[in-house]
Amino acid sequence: MSFPVPAAASLIQVGQSGTIERFTNESLAGKLLDIGVRPGSRLRVIRKSPFGGSWYVKIDRQCLALRKKELACIMVK
Amino acid sequence: MHHGQIKATPVVGLVGNPNSGKSSLFNVLTGLRQRIGNFPGVTVEKKAGMLKLPGLPTVELVDFPGAYSCYPTSLDERLVVQELTNPEGELFPDAILYVADITKLDKHLLLFTQLRDLDLPMILVLNMADLMDSDGLTVDIPRLSKKLGVPVVPVSSRDHRGIGELKEVIAGLLREPDAFRPRQPFYEPGANARDVLAELRRELPARNDYHALLLTHHAPWLKHIPETTRHHIQEARVRHGFHSLRAQVEETMDRYNSFEPIVRDTVRHAGDTDSLSDRIDNVVTHPIAGPILFIVLMLLLFQALFAWASVPMDLIEWTFGTLGDTVRQTLPAGWFTDLLVDGIIAGLGGVLVFVPQIAILFFFIAILEEVGYLARAAYMFDSLMQRFGLNGRSVVALVSGHACAIPAIMSTRTIANWKERLLTILVTPLTSCSARIPVYVILISFAVPQVAYLNGLISLQGLAFAGLYFLGIAGAMLSALVFKWILNTPERSFLMLELPQYRVPVWRNVGTTVWQKSKTFVVEAGKIIMIISIVLWAASTYGPPADMAAANQLAGERAQEQGLSEDETADLVASERLEASYAGHLGKFIEPVIKPLGYDWKIGIALLTSFAAREVFVGTMATIYSIGSTDDEFRIRERLAEERNPVTNEPVYNPATAWSLLIFYVFAMMCMSTLAVTRRETNSWKWPVVQFVFMTAIAYVSAMAVYQLLT
Repeated sequence: MSFPVPAAASLIQVGQSGTIERFTNESLAGKLLDIGVRPGSRLRVIRKSPFGGSWYVKIDRQCLALRKKELACIMVK
Repeated sequence: MHHGQIKATPVVGLVGNPNSGKSSLFNVLTGLRQRIGNFPGVTVEKKAGMLKLPGLPTVELVDFPGAYSCYPTSLDERLVVQELTNPEGELFPDAILYVADITKLDKHLLLFTQLRDLDLPMILVLNMADLMDSDGLTVDIPRLSKKLGVPVVPVSSRDHRGIGELKEVIAGLLREPDAFRPRQPFYEPGANARDVLAELRRELPARNDYHALLLTHHAPWLKHIPETTRHHIQEARVRHGFHSLRAQVEETMDRYNSFEPIVRDTVRHAGDTDSLSDRIDNVVTHPIAGPILFIVLMLLLFQALFAWASVPMDLIEWTFGTLGDTVRQTLPAGWFTDLLVDGIIAGLGGVLVFVPQIAILFFFIAILEEVGYLARAAYMFDSLMQRFGLNGRSVVALVSGHACAIPAIMSTRTIANWKERLLTILVTPLTSCSARIPVYVILISFAVPQVAYLNGLISLQGLAFAGLYFLGIAGAMLSALVFKWILNTPERSFLMLELPQYRVPVWRNVGTTVWQKSKTFVVEAGKIIMIISIVLWAASTYGPPADMAAANQLAGERAQEQGLSEDETADLVASERLEASYAGHLGKFIEPVIKPLGYDWKIGIALLTSFAAREVFVGTMATIYSIGSTDDEFRIRERLAEERNPVTNEPVYNPATAWSLLIFYVFAMMCMSTLAVTRRETNSWKWPVVQFVFMTAIAYVSAMAVYQLLT
């Protein structure tokens, strides 16, 4: 799925993906960049955690667990 | 440092991202010649080992904590920046082995380029080179080495390939540290940073521009920056509108742009390599199957713990019992023999008997960690944990806490949020650690009848056992909830957790962990238990002379009155003497406080002595009830069953007292070592005091409630 206008990654449905365009929160951006999440990477939401609140996400070939707040600062298209 | 001269003990730092396989490589390079201590001034565990290289003095290899970049968020990461930006420091390395996962070079080179720009002699070690054949991965090593300007060595800590070559390259670099100096930096500070740097460059103790930039960023917390300099840096930052976060993001983006083409040019992946890992995760992290699997795994773990540990434990008990008997028969009777048998041998046996369980528990936890499962558990339970004010990563501590609270508390360093970390530290000791096991084993037989259902498949005592564990977990979670309401910090909390690919564990790593943790337990806990055993022996053998004489006389008279046999007389004398001893006086002194809980003065002695280490309880009981072999649980049990209240002549160990004691031991903070670790990890006396008071209060109140309800 691709978004015509950049949207927060927290809006992506499970099983769908987008390309990271930018971040909307500087302090989270610093940390996300450090662990290898960066503009141009392919982001796919794999599944929701058992008790909600966080997601199993695949960024390029790397698996990460991100909270809703963390996903929300990633803009994808 | 670039003097071409080799120091007496060159320091080589092992640096890399978390999950890069750094520790495996460390184990391969140093074997068991490792020393575990703390980094100076901080509580981060420092692993150092000796590395022998031909024609060089012995090299000290320091395993730095895993870090993603020079912009730290956790304590572990801060330490890396602290030490690598301090050329005057003791741990400043003469060379760095930078470990990167060969399959994740596009991410793991970020920190590499940062350290490289600090002008440190480096070797890039590509770990997990065993994947080069199986996964259709190819890396153009000479080209990568040329582009990055450092020696590149592919190694595998699994099949040991490349280790010999790596040692040669390390030796070469130490002999000629200037051989690979960077020709140009990977990153040039942007306009914004240049102004600040121009002003500060001369004042800062920096080796180059990038070093100065990092000092500017991190001056507020770097320990080696003098207070006046810190002040100047702050002023300059404000004057030039230096925005640390923005500068960091700019720099990181710039760095990715500079090394990404190099990686693309030299590394080829064939297809999607982690499909197997994905398929495993479809089940393991499944919203419903995942948590069920977790619970099943934990149940299996504890089942195995009891099933497997009993044989070696019996063996150890038997050995020490026999040893004690032999010594008693061989040596002449007297105070020295008593001290040796009742104090030292009994104390030593009391320590070693826990080793099988501790080893098995660490074996399991090390495997779960190595395989990559613990990260999944953290992911699954994050939001549940958050409701209690904890972090997904707290699961790791709460699981390991069932082995021993000390390493569990140390594992909380990966939690970046201070409040979440503090709550985890405070409540982890409520999980039932292995030192509670012997106390549970002895007391449960008095609390619960030996009844089994379904052909012995489920025993009532086993259920009670599981219930105590559950009670500990529930206590931990509820206390966390209370602390969550009391404490308030606006600090941000992160999950952002890497879920590494599943891997077959490297057995050497598992073995090393088990060996080291068991050794630490024997040495650290052993010291305390030994001292207490000896002190206790002395306190229960000696007393105010007048009282002791009176006790002897009284016992003698009574024995004659009742016409007791020699053995019975000896028992009577012993018990009268105990009551008159210093320990007896102390027990009597606290008796009023513990009476509402259903305890007499003898239990009081055991409680007092086990406040330093709860595993002392069984040993104390044995000493008090004067049984030759201290740790034979069944003999102690028989003796306890015979114990009667002198006034009412009813058994002292009735179900109410037994339950009350069990509940007390579930909740009470009875471990000096844990308090010491809490003190170290929180860097204040406040939190160990809080921990001690709240746990003991819960223990006292709930034990009293249980006793009053049951009688």
